[in-house]
Amino acid sequence: MKNVLAIAKREIRSAFNSPVAYAVILGYLLFTGIYLYFIRGFYVAGQADLRDYFTVMPLVFAFLVPALTMRSWAEERRLGTYELLLTLPFTEGQLVLGKFLSSFALAAIAVALTIPVPLTASMLGSFDAGILVTQYLGVLLEAAAAVAVGEWISSLAKNQVSAFVGSVLALLCLVLVDRVSGFFGAQGLAAGLLNWLSLAFHYDSFSRGVVDTRDLAYYLSASVLFLYLASWGLTRRKWS
Amino acid sequence: MIELRELRKSYGGVEAVHGVSFTAETGSVLGLLGPNGAGKTTIMKVLTGYHFPSSGKAVVDGIDVEEDPIAVKSRVGYLPESVPLYQDLTVAEYLDFIADARGLGSSAKAGRATAGAAEAGERARAIERAIGACGLEGFYRKKVEELSKGYRQRLGLAQAILHDPPILILDEPTTGLDPNQIIEIRELIKSLGESKTVILSTHILQEVEAICSNVIILNEGRVAAQGAPSEIGKALKGEERIRLRLKAARGSAEGLDREALSSLPGLRSVSSFRAESPAVLAAEIAMPPADAEAPDVGETIFDWAVSRGYKVLELERHRLSLEEIFVKLTSEGEGR
Repeated sequence: MKNVLAIAKREIRSAFNSPVAYAVILGYLLFTGIYLYFIRGFYVAGQADLRDYFTVMPLVFAFLVPALTMRSWAEERRLGTYELLLTLPFTEGQLVLGKFLSSFALAAIAVALTIPVPLTASMLGSFDAGILVTQYLGVLLEAAAAVAVGEWISSLAKNQVSAFVGSVLALLCLVLVDRVSGFFGAQGLAAGLLNWLSLAFHYDSFSRGVVDTRDLAYYLSASVLFLYLASWGLTRRKWS
Repeated sequence: MIELRELRKSYGGVEAVHGVSFTAETGSVLGLLGPNGAGKTTIMKVLTGYHFPSSGKAVVDGIDVEEDPIAVKSRVGYLPESVPLYQDLTVAEYLDFIADARGLGSSAKAGRATAGAAEAGERARAIERAIGACGLEGFYRKKVEELSKGYRQRLGLAQAILHDPPILILDEPTTGLDPNQIIEIRELIKSLGESKTVILSTHILQEVEAICSNVIILNEGRVAAQGAPSEIGKALKGEERIRLRLKAARGSAEGLDREALSSLPGLRSVSSFRAESPAVLAAEIAMPPADAEAPDVGETIFDWAVSRGYKVLELERHRLSLEEIFVKLTSEGEGR
């Protein structure tokens, strides 16, 4: 655990020593703010309801998260520090977990900075605090799974740009896959499968204020799966 | 102590190292010498647990790198050729990360608990020692990206020695340094080599002669020669040469003919023979490898010159240098 934290600490220090982290977080806050207040017309609608705000999060994360994770392995390769990391006494699992933790922490910081939005909105009407907590829980779980996907793709990519593009594409597919069933009128098992795969579909009940253990299990197992894939890939490289 | 037994490593079907074996003892500096692509870096990557061998064994301090890579990594300090540094950290933050990774105390500030203070002391001492040894005082608060190439190299070295490892593996440790820095770093490596096992790779042959107690010359993934720098010279020395310049006491040197010189005992042939001016003659003479029993050829030549009334301006025995040996060994394969 000490090693995992050492790696995460280094990542977060680097992120805040460069403008990237600030720019990404600022971009995220600006975009979600504009979406809520201007595109959805929060004040015009006159309804103290933030469901729209939270529903758009998976789609926003499809861009935010790759911006956070693209550096993680691709940048190490560029600087040659990849070789340093793999010759320090860390296991592959600790490396992957440390990097996951740091990117997730940055995403969580971005999410935490949105708290003023529901706070100000609560002055305008009565809010159910329980729903809000559930919504935030859902956002964080979705972010965790997205970060795991981004980390895995970054670990495969040769440079930051391909890591970013690859992760955006992968996350967009995972977020939008449940729309496919509606679009093609898929039914029964096929629709169930497509929905089950979707990052957004499992998020839906959270944004309505419902915690379903199936959704919890989905996000947690997706995170574990992609982190495992990344760690497996690193180990395999030693033999090639 | 490092042991390599019949190490083979291939990358995607292409074998880079074909069965290399050697032992590096504690308290010695072993130099790996060879042209680019000879397998030096590959061997280092195996020894640091970055790659696993395709076959054969690499044992570091009695631990097989494949069986317990983490234990090996914690005993090894490694400076890769690319000198990996995080550009957006300061020197302090970078070394702090390495100290975290090496488990040197905790980064907790002193005063929290007595145990914490002692640990922080251990870390501070280690960082101070490494910074001092590598001449990085005054750069502690600087960002890595602001450092010049030479100081980056020093920081890379500080990183490698931070935890005072028993094994040091340095891939071209003096590239990018100016001559003064090179001397400093060589002195440092030499002193580290007194108590540790040091392996370094280099292109620079003087470096090997200056700091290595043993050399392995690699070519195309095989050991082409190994031994102490002076022994390698002796074993491979096909011949020695003598450079000679003579001046006729009066008149011209024209009377001196080539046959007279080459018929002297102990000489093999006269490889060049020319008059620099009417009075001065320069010759290069090849001779078989020096035999301790045989009389000194220099004496023979001197006596002969004096008896003929010539003044000896220069008489120099020229040993085959490591450089020439290197070229000889590593270019032989090309004709195949």
